Amino acid sequence: MFALRRTKRGVLASATLAVSALALSAIPAQAFSVHAETGVTATQIKLGITIPLTGSAAPGYSKIPSAMQAYFNYVNDNGGVYGRKISLVVKDDAYLPTLAVAKTNELILKDKVFAVVGALGTANNKAVAKSVNLGRRGIPDLFLNTGYSGFADAKKYPTTFSLFPSYIMEAKIMGQYIKENFAGKKLGLIYQDDDFGTDALVGFKQAGVKFDVSVPYASGSQSAQSAQGWIGKLKAAGAEVVVMFGVTTASGAALATAAAMAYKAQWILGSVGGDATTLKAVGVPAYVLTGAMGASFLPAPTDTTDEYVKFFQGINTKYNGDAVFDNNVLVAMNTAMMTVQALRAGGKNLTHASVMSALENSGSSFASASLSPINYASGVHVGYSGYWFGTYNSAGELKPNGGAYSVYTTDSGAGAIVKSTFKRPALPANGLPTN
Amino acid sequence: MKKKISILAVSALASLALSVLPTAAHAVAPTCATANFVTSCQGATSDGALYAMSVPANFNGTLVLYSHGYRYPVDIPAGIPLVGGYKVVKVPEPAPSAAVAKYLLGKGFAIAGSGFAVEGWNADSGIKTDTELIATFKAQFPTTTKVVAWGSSLGGFITQGLAEQHPDLISAAAPMCTVAGSVEGELTMAADVLWGMKTFFDPTIKGHNYSAGAAGYGEAMGDLVKVFTVLGKLQAGVASGAWPDTAGAAGTALAAIPSRSALLLVGLMSGLPTQSMHFDATSGPGPKNSASYTSFALAASPALAVLENIANAAVLGVLATYDVEQQAGGAVIDNSKTDYAARIESEAVSNNAALSGNTAIGGMLSFLNPANPAAPRWTADPAAVTKMRALASHTGKINVPTIALANVADPAVPAGNVQWLADRYAEQYAHAKGVAMATFSKTGTYTAVRKSFLAVWSVPPTIYTKFTNTGAPDTSGPAANGTGHCGYTDKQLMAIVDLATNAAATGKLMSGGPLYTVIRKAGGFSIDPGFRAPLLKFYNEQ
Repeated sequence: MFALRRTKRGVLASATLAVSALALSAIPAQAFSVHAETGVTATQIKLGITIPLTGSAAPGYSKIPSAMQAYFNYVNDNGGVYGRKISLVVKDDAYLPTLAVAKTNELILKDKVFAVVGALGTANNKAVAKSVNLGRRGIPDLFLNTGYSGFADAKKYPTTFSLFPSYIMEAKIMGQYIKENFAGKKLGLIYQDDDFGTDALVGFKQAGVKFDVSVPYASGSQSAQSAQGWIGKLKAAGAEVVVMFGVTTASGAALATAAAMAYKAQWILGSVGGDATTLKAVGVPAYVLTGAMGASFLPAPTDTTDEYVKFFQGINTKYNGDAVFDNNVLVAMNTAMMTVQALRAGGKNLTHASVMSALENSGSSFASASLSPINYASGVHVGYSGYWFGTYNSAGELKPNGGAYSVYTTDSGAGAIVKSTFKRPALPANGLPTN
Repeated sequence: MKKKISILAVSALASLALSVLPTAAHAVAPTCATANFVTSCQGATSDGALYAMSVPANFNGTLVLYSHGYRYPVDIPAGIPLVGGYKVVKVPEPAPSAAVAKYLLGKGFAIAGSGFAVEGWNADSGIKTDTELIATFKAQFPTTTKVVAWGSSLGGFITQGLAEQHPDLISAAAPMCTVAGSVEGELTMAADVLWGMKTFFDPTIKGHNYSAGAAGYGEAMGDLVKVFTVLGKLQAGVASGAWPDTAGAAGTALAAIPSRSALLLVGLMSGLPTQSMHFDATSGPGPKNSASYTSFALAASPALAVLENIANAAVLGVLATYDVEQQAGGAVIDNSKTDYAARIESEAVSNNAALSGNTAIGGMLSFLNPANPAAPRWTADPAAVTKMRALASHTGKINVPTIALANVADPAVPAGNVQWLADRYAEQYAHAKGVAMATFSKTGTYTAVRKSFLAVWSVPPTIYTKFTNTGAPDTSGPAANGTGHCGYTDKQLMAIVDLATNAAATGKLMSGGPLYTVIRKAGGFSIDPGFRAPLLKFYNEQ
C-alpha cells in the first residue's frame, strides 16, 4: 500500500490505492484524476465564437453566428451529438483585435467553452493566438474564418484548424485564371495592406502575375472617400482588369465609387469580399456587380440543384428565420456541419485531444458542401485547397464560368495548380452526420 | 508621484519624528513610543537607512516587511511635467498605504520598512538594509516568529532578491509590480523608447550616455523637457497625423504616414502596452456602428495609449538610465544589432490598421534600419555593461511561498517581469515533479510537489475610455484597473498581503475556494493559469 497525495483540485486528496493495481514505473499523477473536459457535460457541449456583429466589417459576417446556431439547433432537435446539445456563445469583437482578445478570454474563463469555432479575421485570430494562446491552453480553435496561410503552422498553432483555402492558394489560382483569360490586358489590384493582402501578393507572384498598378489600403480605412483615391489611381494607370482582394465593405466602396466615376473595368472579386447580398446591402447596385467575376470554394448559394445548398436553405427557412440565404449563411452552416462531425469523431468521451486527433485522422473524409477536397492529416491543419470561378449575373448570382464548376487546387507553396477530380461526399441522410 | 503622498501619510500614521533622526552611516538603535496600543519605533541601520517599525499590542508574531519602490536619486526642477519640484527623500515606508498599515496592525501584524540608504537603483544595498532590519526587529521584539517580505516595483525586486539570498529569514514573499531578473531588461525598454522618440521625433534628445556629474544631470533634465514637449506635439497631431516640427529627417521621409503610427511603432518595438490609464484601444466616441467609433478604436486609441504610457514612464526611463549609467560609468545599452522588425512581428498584425498597413510599417522599419545614417544606433561601453551586470540580479528561484502581482498594462515595469518569474518557477516546478516521479518509479511512493508560486494579474476592463459630449477623449477620471505603474487599490493590496501572511502561517499557498474568494473580493484580479504576459523585448520572445 502507498499513499497518493494530491493537492490539485482536491480530486483525490488522499486516495489509497493497491500497489498491485498499478504499473508503477509509468503512471503519472494525472492518471488518477477524474477528468471532465471544460464545456462538456452529460447534456451539453458549449462552443464559442468571436465575430464582428458591429463595426466596419459587420455587414454580412454578422449573419454567421445565427446561421451556425440554426444548424446546431437542427442537430439538437435530432438527438444532438451523442445526446449532448450544442450551444454557441457569440461575442461581438467589432473586428477589433483587442476586443477579440478580450472576448475570447471571456469565452474561455467566464463562459468556459469547450472550443472556439469559426472565429473571424486574420488580425483578430493572430492577436488571440498571441495573447490568449489557445494552443498553450490546449483549447481547440476550429475552422477559422480566415484564409491566412500562417495558421497552417501546426507547431506554432497546435490547436488551430483552418477550413478555408489559404489566400495564397486563392491568389495563385486566380493568377492562373487571369493569365489564361486576360493576357495582354493592363492589370490593377486593390488589396488590404496586412497579412491577408500579403498572402495575396505572394500568391500572385507564385502565379507569375504582375500588376501594372497596385493600391494597398489599411484595414479599417475603407470608405467612399478613400475609394475615390483608389479608383483615381486605377483609372490613371488605365487598368482594364482589376482584382479586389479586400473585405466586402472595401469591395463595395470600390465598385460603387467606380460606377460613380464612370470607371469601367473587368472586376475580379476575391472570395472574402464577393458576397453579392452583402455588396447590395452596403450600397452596390446590381448593375455594377453584373459581369464582375468571383471565386468560391462552395457552390453558389443560389444553386438549388446542389443538395447541400438545398438542404441548408431548408434549415435556414425553418431554424434561421428565413434570413436571406447568401454565401455567409452557407459558409456558416457548412462550418456547423463540419463542427458536428468533429465533435462526433471526438467520441462519447469528448476531450480537446480527442477532437483534434479525430480531425487529423478522419477530417479529410467529412461531409462538406465544399467542392474542394479537405486535406486534414497528421500535422496538416488546413482544410480546403481549391476554388472555382464564376461571373455575377444581373440578379447578383455567381454563375460558374463555362456552365459547370471547374475547381482548381493548389498549395501555399510552389506546388502546381491542377484541375480537381475530387468527388464530394454525398450529403448525409437528412443532413445529419453519422460518422 | 501620487504614491509619495500616500507614503507620507503612512509615516504620519506611524507617529514618527523623523526630523530628529541622524542621517550618518551608522546604526542608530530604535527609539520607541507607545500610543493607542501600537508601539512605534524609529532608527537607522548601519548603512544609514532610516527605518520605522510599528507593533500592535496584540502582536501575533509575524512581521510584514515592506520595501518601497524606485525613488528618483536627484532633485527635479520645477517646470518638468508630472514630477517637477521633486526632492530626494529618505522617509521610511513601512507599508504601501496608510490604510494597509492600519489594516495589518489591526490584525495583529507588525509592520516595518526603511527609506533605504541610497535612492535610485539600489537593489544591492536594499537587500542588505532589509536583512539588517529584520535582525534589528527581532532583537527588539523577540516574540517574532515569522517574516513576510513584500514590496513594490524596485521594492519587489529587492523582495525577490531577499527571498533568493536569505530564504531562512522570511516565510513568504509578495513582490508587486516588480522588476524581475535584472535591471537590464527595464533599461533596454527605456532605451528603445528614447531611441525611437529621438530617431523619429526629435534628434536632439540624448537618451543615453549621459555625461558624468552636473553635466549629465543637465542632459537628463533637458531630455525630460524634450520628451514631454514632443509628446505634446504628437498629441496635437493624433487626428491629423502631422509630425512634430522637431522631427528632422523622419518627418520628411515618412510624412505620408501619420505620426501616430510612428508613435505606436515606438511603443510596440519597446514592449509598451497598448492600453493605458485612460485609453483601452478598443472603443471610440459615438454609437458602436459609427465610423467615428471604429476609426478611433482602430487608429487613434492604441497610439494615444502609447503616448500616455510614455508620458507616465518617461521620467523613470530617463532617470533610471542616467542613474545606472552613473553607477556603471558609461553607456550600458547597445541597440546596434537590435532587429526591430522581428520585435514587432506579431504586434504588426494585430495593430496593422493603427500602424497604417504593411507598406507604412515597411517604410518606418526601413527608416530605423542601422544602415540609415539618419537613424544611428547606440553602442554601449563594455566596462559599464560589466558593472551593470554585476548589480544584484535574480535567478528566479522560488524558495518561499511567493505571490507576485502585476498590472497587465503597466507602462513602467511591464507585466512581463512577473511572467519571467512565472516561467522560471514553471521550470523549477517541472524539475521537482520530474524528481518526484523518478522517486515514485524507484520507491513506489509519490509525494506531490506543492506549488509555491502564484501570479496574480490585475486586468484592465475591456472598455473604459471616456469621451466628452463633443467626442473628445476625457482623461480627467481615475486610471482604469490594471493600468499604470503599481497604483493598486487598498483592497487589492490587502488581498495580496492576506495571501502572503496566510502562506507564512501555513507554509503553503492558499488554494481552491478560499483562494478564489480572496481574489474575487479584491476586484480586478485574475489568477488564470493560462494567461501569459509578453516578456520584455530584451528577451526576444516571439
